[in-house]
Amino acid sequence: MERKSKMRFWQTLFITVIAALIVPFVVPNYAMTIVVEALIWGLFAMSLDLLVGYTRLYSFGHVAAYGLGAYSSALLILHFGIPTPLVILLATGISTLIAVPIAWICTRTHGVTFAMLTLAFAQLGYAMLFKFKDITGGSNGLPGVTRPDGPFGLDFFQYRTGYYYMVLAVLIGSFLICRVIVNSPFGKALSGIRENEVKTQALGYNVRNYKWLVVVIAYMFGSLAGALYAPFAGFASPELFFWFISGTVLIMVIIGGSGTLIGPIIGGIFFLMLEHYLSEITQLWPIFFGSIFILFILFAPKGIWGIRASVLQKIKNKLSENGNASS
Amino acid sequence: MANKNIEQSGFTRRKMIAGSAAAVSTLALPAYLNKATAATAIKIGIPTVITGGYAVLGSHVMRTCKLVEKMRNASGGVLGRPIEFVFKDTMGKPADAVRKCQELVERDDCRIFTGVVVSSEARAIMPKLEEWKAFFISHGNGDGQLTAKHYVDNFFRANTSAPMGARALALYLKDGKEQDYFAIGSDYAWGHSSVKAFTSQITSAGKTMVGSVFAPVGTKDYSTYITKILQSKAQGCYVALQGDEGRAFYSQAQQYGLAERVQMVTEIVAQANIRALGKDSVGLLGSSRYPFTYENDANKKFVSAFQAEYKDEIPDWSDGEQYQALDILFKAMEKADSDEAKKIVAAMEGLEVNSVKGATLMRKCDHQGENQGFIVKVTEVPGQSEPVPKILKIYSRDKITPDCRATTYSS
Amino acid sequence: METLTFLIIQSLNALSQASLLFFIASGLTLIFGIMRIINFAHGALYMLGAYIGYTLAMSTGSFVFALVVAPILVALVGLAFESSLLRRLYKRQDGGAYLMITFGLAVILDEAIKLIWGADPKGVPTPDLLQGVIIILDFPFPKYRIFLILLGISAAASVWFFLEKTRLGLLIRAVSQNSEMVSALGTDVTFIRRLVFAIGCGLAAIGGVLATPMVTAFLGMASSVVIDAFVIVIIGGMGSFLGSIIGSVLVAFVQVFGAYYVPDLALAIMYMLMLAILVLRPGGLLGKEE
Repeated sequence: MERKSKMRFWQTLFITVIAALIVPFVVPNYAMTIVVEALIWGLFAMSLDLLVGYTRLYSFGHVAAYGLGAYSSALLILHFGIPTPLVILLATGISTLIAVPIAWICTRTHGVTFAMLTLAFAQLGYAMLFKFKDITGGSNGLPGVTRPDGPFGLDFFQYRTGYYYMVLAVLIGSFLICRVIVNSPFGKALSGIRENEVKTQALGYNVRNYKWLVVVIAYMFGSLAGALYAPFAGFASPELFFWFISGTVLIMVIIGGSGTLIGPIIGGIFFLMLEHYLSEITQLWPIFFGSIFILFILFAPKGIWGIRASVLQKIKNKLSENGNASS
Repeated sequence: MANKNIEQSGFTRRKMIAGSAAAVSTLALPAYLNKATAATAIKIGIPTVITGGYAVLGSHVMRTCKLVEKMRNASGGVLGRPIEFVFKDTMGKPADAVRKCQELVERDDCRIFTGVVVSSEARAIMPKLEEWKAFFISHGNGDGQLTAKHYVDNFFRANTSAPMGARALALYLKDGKEQDYFAIGSDYAWGHSSVKAFTSQITSAGKTMVGSVFAPVGTKDYSTYITKILQSKAQGCYVALQGDEGRAFYSQAQQYGLAERVQMVTEIVAQANIRALGKDSVGLLGSSRYPFTYENDANKKFVSAFQAEYKDEIPDWSDGEQYQALDILFKAMEKADSDEAKKIVAAMEGLEVNSVKGATLMRKCDHQGENQGFIVKVTEVPGQSEPVPKILKIYSRDKITPDCRATTYSS
Repeated sequence: METLTFLIIQSLNALSQASLLFFIASGLTLIFGIMRIINFAHGALYMLGAYIGYTLAMSTGSFVFALVVAPILVALVGLAFESSLLRRLYKRQDGGAYLMITFGLAVILDEAIKLIWGADPKGVPTPDLLQGVIIILDFPFPKYRIFLILLGISAAASVWFFLEKTRLGLLIRAVSQNSEMVSALGTDVTFIRRLVFAIGCGLAAIGGVLATPMVTAFLGMASSVVIDAFVIVIIGGMGSFLGSIIGSVLVAFVQVFGAYYVPDLALAIMYMLMLAILVLRPGGLLGKEE
């Protein structure tokens, strides 16, 4: 049974990857911008799922990871002209280092307090952008971010399609890594913390350290998303640090289906597409937006991925009703 | 058991493919949703703020554009073709602004932009114009650096900039009785630009700047700042606050009776705020980018057309500035006999237009529009339901436009 | 300006601001205390109060009328939302669901207000009786702010008295601590919940009406206030009414004096305060550690 579901997983992944590879040839070029941004958001949302879905740590300040990554990569490119793929890795690394003390402070607390501490740090980051405007460009942000070639003369990411493939590879790679993490003993401990923190602590786990580490990891993938964004959009600006985004990414996770990794990726993609296209169709798009969310809560609380799971379950039940499934 | 799994996975696979196909087609869907337009129409892209903090300014942009569309198309359009405005919501965010412009260029083949509300949005769009082969004319972006340090070829600014507004004000105040000035500004690009410009202008006019303070965007309580202003014992206070911040400041200042102790001056005089503040706004002295009370032929025509279309609404500074920008844009296009960016650039350089603000010259060296400067005082006038900006003095354009590619004045 | 005058004036500035903050924050903390809901729509309700107050004040010419009636109307809107949508979530043990549904409500309310009243800001003039200043040690101070301070103190005292000294207040406090037990003892818990929710919405609306002569009613009001409200509630301790009072005063003082001495950090000050408090007392000043 285990092997069958593993096989199914890899089959589905394979098909998804093939489909994703074909996308640039099927979709008009102007739409590719949105597609790439949607994938980046998907990565961002998945990073939060590690906290929300697997450890039940609600963060209200996850935008800080994104903003840190974006500004780091923007600054590295503007000041040092380091090749793009290296910049993305460096920026992620820097942001992760910054996250270590922040995560340490935040994980001293629980529940809503934890959430508000993360918010506090995100807001402080936002304020710093305006205070140190000589470095960060203040309200103007940092425009004019290019995508330096290299290493070894690589330049496929100069083109939108090339960048898309890079982001796709990073997303899939990150997803697989996260999957390994959540299925590992570390991940099992996180589930334990999610279900019953007190009991897990009693069993001898140092809950605090687990939380600390998972927050850092979440920041790592979140800042990776931000680091991918700045060279793509060509700039970093304070709106990438705005608190409202922390709320929307939380919603992406929940709409997608928390605790599934895939769900939030889909949630992130869905959200961005929805926002973009709704605002094209109607000026009243916020009303539809809000209503869609409310409908999801009421009728599809497990999110998009949950819908899929329940549909599959219904199919399963129907098949077993028919009885003659086995030969 | 085994068969069940196979059927399930087959179902999943099919579902996956069907799902992806559906997703992909939704990406292309909106292209079909855009109504089919006459192939010959000239498209003007308006990436403006429809939802969000500055939605008021965006609503002005849209209503003036719609009026212009109606008026122009009734008289043959531009270059013999009808014009069509394509409105996009940027929500005041630079990243969204760039994305929407990119879509306008790539999907709608629309390469002319105006109506951008926030200076940082303009700042983000400008570096991309060359690559998009697009043209952008500002109607209301005040940051002085847009035509100085951040100059790009395909960008023109038709409107009065923040340094120009501050300059006109300083010239007027030179002979005034106030000697010491304090300044309060919004802690963002325009606020700093505005205060800096005013400070240098007022000090070269022989006055003293005793202090300045910047409030974060979104500040709601100005009690501390008002206390600071009163403490400084300055006779005049320069206010570089707009929109929500401006209204909050003026309302609270009125409660403190600040206007009785200090003469407040500003370079943004917004009718929307005057209406909201009512009596609280009377006595404000300012440099207005566009006062609807200016009497020349072009403006009289515009104001009556505006009030006929919008039921006695008063055109705000952003309405007049947008109207002028479009006026200049269309004249340049007709002079160039083209809608291509580089040709418009060439035609607009050195172009002088008799607009609703008087004779405005689009300067070649930095693409800044040389505008007249209007000093107004908000006054209650019998016959008007709300206070209006009464023009006290007009400065000629050469007096208030800064040096080329600069925000400073050598004279 | 002499130090004494300065201190007095700034303290009055802070207290008047604290009063406004109190109306918003207390509503939020009461709702959380009784229903464990993080009401993302609280800012939108505040804004709705401001706009409804504007319409009432403009049409009847009476600010007092607006101040009394607008909160009632907003409370009704809140109740409608609660009974139609929120109620369906009670069975679920899902904090995320409340967050999302109140977020959806906030988004819809924001847009609905824009549709009904338009994008232009709406001004409400300071009521005639409260216009002008009183001179304190040679310095002008607005009568309106004095009014805010007095109103805030009396409202805080009244609600505190209601919660601590009346039987209904006792029931409310009991429900927020252990609703099952209270229900088993025969009290209609649903009614209590609804009552507190309505009071919470009403308080926010009062804040909205009071704020309009100082900031006018405008579309960005909701988001500008919701974050402040959350910070205050956290600082004071979620669910603690007294905490919301202390939090409001603390935040107001820190903001007023902080913006004076270090205007560069004006944006960050409130968060630094919250950070400091949470590190020392994770549940907030008067909250219980969760």
